[in-house]
Amino acid sequence: MIKPTCEDTFLLKKRNLKNDYFSFTFKPYVPVKKCKPGHFLQLQLPNSDVYFRRPFSIASVDSNGSIEIIFKIFGEGTVLLANLAKGDKVNLLGPLGVPFKFPKKNEQTIIIAGGVGFPPLMYLAVEMIAKGHDPKSIHFFYGGRTTDDIIEKTRLNKLGVNFYPVTEDGSFGVKGLVTKPVEEFIKSSNSNMRIFSCGPTGMLKAADAIGLKYNIPGQLSLEAPMPCGFGICLGCVKEKTDGTHARVCCDGPVFEIGEIII
Amino acid sequence: MKLDLKVKIAGVELANPLMTASGCCGYGEELADIFPLSKLGALVSKSITLNPRLGHPPPRTAETTSGMLNAIGLANVGIDKFVTDKIPFLKKQKTKIIVNVAGSKLEEYVEVCSRLNDIECVDMIELNISCPNVDEGGMEFGADPIMTEKSLKAVKKVFNRPVIAKLSPNVTSIVQIAKAAEQGGADAFSVINTLLGMVVDAETWHTKITNNKGGLSGPAIKPVALQMVHAVYSNSSLPIIGIGGIRSTSDVIEFLLCGATAVQIGTGLFIDPMLIVKIEKELKQYMKRKKCNSIYDLIGKVRKY
Ligand SMILES: Cc1cc2nc3c(=O)[nH]c(=O)nc-3n(C[C@H](O)[C@H](O)[C@H](O)COP(=O)(O)O)c2cc1C
Ligand code: FES
Repeated sequence: MIKPTCEDTFLLKKRNLKNDYFSFTFKPYVPVKKCKPGHFLQLQLPNSDVYFRRPFSIASVDSNGSIEIIFKIFGEGTVLLANLAKGDKVNLLGPLGVPFKFPKKNEQTIIIAGGVGFPPLMYLAVEMIAKGHDPKSIHFFYGGRTTDDIIEKTRLNKLGVNFYPVTEDGSFGVKGLVTKPVEEFIKSSNSNMRIFSCGPTGMLKAADAIGLKYNIPGQLSLEAPMPCGFGICLGCVKEKTDGTHARVCCDGPVFEIGEIII
Repeated sequence: MKLDLKVKIAGVELANPLMTASGCCGYGEELADIFPLSKLGALVSKSITLNPRLGHPPPRTAETTSGMLNAIGLANVGIDKFVTDKIPFLKKQKTKIIVNVAGSKLEEYVEVCSRLNDIECVDMIELNISCPNVDEGGMEFGADPIMTEKSLKAVKKVFNRPVIAKLSPNVTSIVQIAKAAEQGGADAFSVINTLLGMVVDAETWHTKITNNKGGLSGPAIKPVALQMVHAVYSNSSLPIIGIGGIRSTSDVIEFLLCGATAVQIGTGLFIDPMLIVKIEKELKQYMKRKKCNSIYDLIGKVRKY
C-alpha cells in the first residue's frame, strides 16, 4: 500500500470535452511518481454543505508534476466541481486504492470501457505502451449510448491501439452493446488474453460474466459511494463471492474477475 | 506558566484532548499511514463484539446535508482477531488506547471486557450502549436506566481500569441515563453517539440504505451534541468527552466551553484525515491568543444569558 497524502493544488487547465464531460488538470501535484493506472484521488469540494469528498480515477499524470481527471456532470458534487475556475485551489487526497496489475507482454489485452470508466483504462493503455507493450496487442472496446459518450477519440487513436467504438444507437462505430464485439473477438482469437473493464454496472457485470465464461483472467475497477476513501469507515463495501465484504476504496477499486458480486 | 494541552480522564493523562471517534478510524492502521498517531490524545477503536460481524449489506451509508447517515451494523473482526491481529499494532503506538465494546447481550459485553482486562495497552474501555444500528442490544441498553446501571456494574467488575459510558441522544432524558451510568460506576461519559435518521430518494421512492434507518453524524448534529454535553455537565461531576460534528478548532472549543474535557472526531476525519493534526496546532494558537495556559481554563466556561 502506498501512503496517501493530502495536498493542496490548483486547477491549471479546464477543458470541456463534450457536453457534460470535463477534463481538469491540477498542478503542482508532488506524488505523481507514486501514481499508477487504477489509482484514484479523493477531491475536496469547495462547498462544505456537500459533505463527502468525491473519488475520481486518475486519467493521466505528467512527470512535470501535474495530474488529470476526467468527469461527467452527474449530481451535486460534479456540478460544484464544474464551476471551479482556472487557478482555484483544491485539496487532493491520494493516490488511493489498489492499481491494475499489468498484463504479460505476450497477452492480448481486452479493454472494455464505458462512460466515465474510460479515464483509468486510457491511463492503463498509455502506461502499458510506455513500458514496451505493443499498442496492437491492446484492443480498446469503448461503449456509450450515443456518439456523445465517446470522448477523447483522437487521443486514443494517437496511441495506436485497436479501437472499437460501439454505441447503442449506432451513431458512432458498431451499433449495440460492447459485449457482442468483445465476445466475437474472443472467439476469433487463440492467444492468451486478459480483460480490463471499468464502466456502468451493466457493463461490469457483462465483463465479469465473459471472463468467467471463456476462462479469461482480468480485472474490474468498481465504483461505490465513498465517505472516506482510505479504509476507515467501512461504508463502501461490496459483497464478495466468498461471502465476506471488501472495501472498494482500499481492497479495490480494482478486483479480479469473479471476486465480487456485481 | 507553559501552555499545555494535557487533560486527564479518570486519572488517565492524555497529551491533548483530541481523540478519534469509534467506527471512524478502524483499528488505527490506515490513519497511521497519514500521520503519527502520537498526535492523538487517544485512539478509540471500532466497536468490538464477542463474535466477528459482517455488518449490514451495502449500501450502508448515505450523504446528507452537512452530514451522513450510516448503518454499518457494527462490522468488526471480533475479540479474538482483535487481540491477535490488531493489539500488536496498537501496543506500539505512542498514544492512549481506548477500546469501544458493544454487544447484544450483557454476557457478551462482560466477556469482551474481561478479555480486555488482561491486555495491558488498553487504557480504558468505552462502552457502546448507544448503537442505533443493531436490532437488539446497543441502544436498547442505553435507553433504559436500569439496564444502563446493570451493564456498567457488570463490566466494572471484570475490567479494573476506567470505563467510559457512550450515551445515546435517542432518549427522552440523557441526564437520567447519565446518572444511571454514574450509579453503575462509570468513570466518564462520551456524548453523543449518532441520532436516528432516515434518507429517502424522491425519484425512486427508495430508502438509501439497506437498513432503512441509520445514525446521523457530521456538522448537522453539532448543536444537539453541544446541548447534551452541557446538560450532562450541569448534572454530573464526571469528565465528559464531547462528540458530534467537529470539523474545526472552534468546534472543539465550543465543546470544551459547554463542559467537555476532551472531544472525539468521527465523520470529520473522512473529509480531512489531517484534521486532528491541524486542530492541535490551531488550538495552541487560540489558547495563546486567549491567554489560557491549560485546557481547564476553557472547560465549562460557556457564558450564558
Ligand atoms: C461510519 C460510522 C461508523 C460508526 N461506528 C461506530 C461504532 O462502531 N461504535 C460507536 O460507538 N460509534 C460509532 N459511530 C459513531 C461515532 O463514534 C460518533 O459518535 C458519531 O459519528 C458522531 O460524531 P461525528 O459527527 O464526529 O462523526 C460511527 C459513526 C460513523 C459515521
Ligand atoms: S470509503 Fe471508507 S472504508 Fe472505503
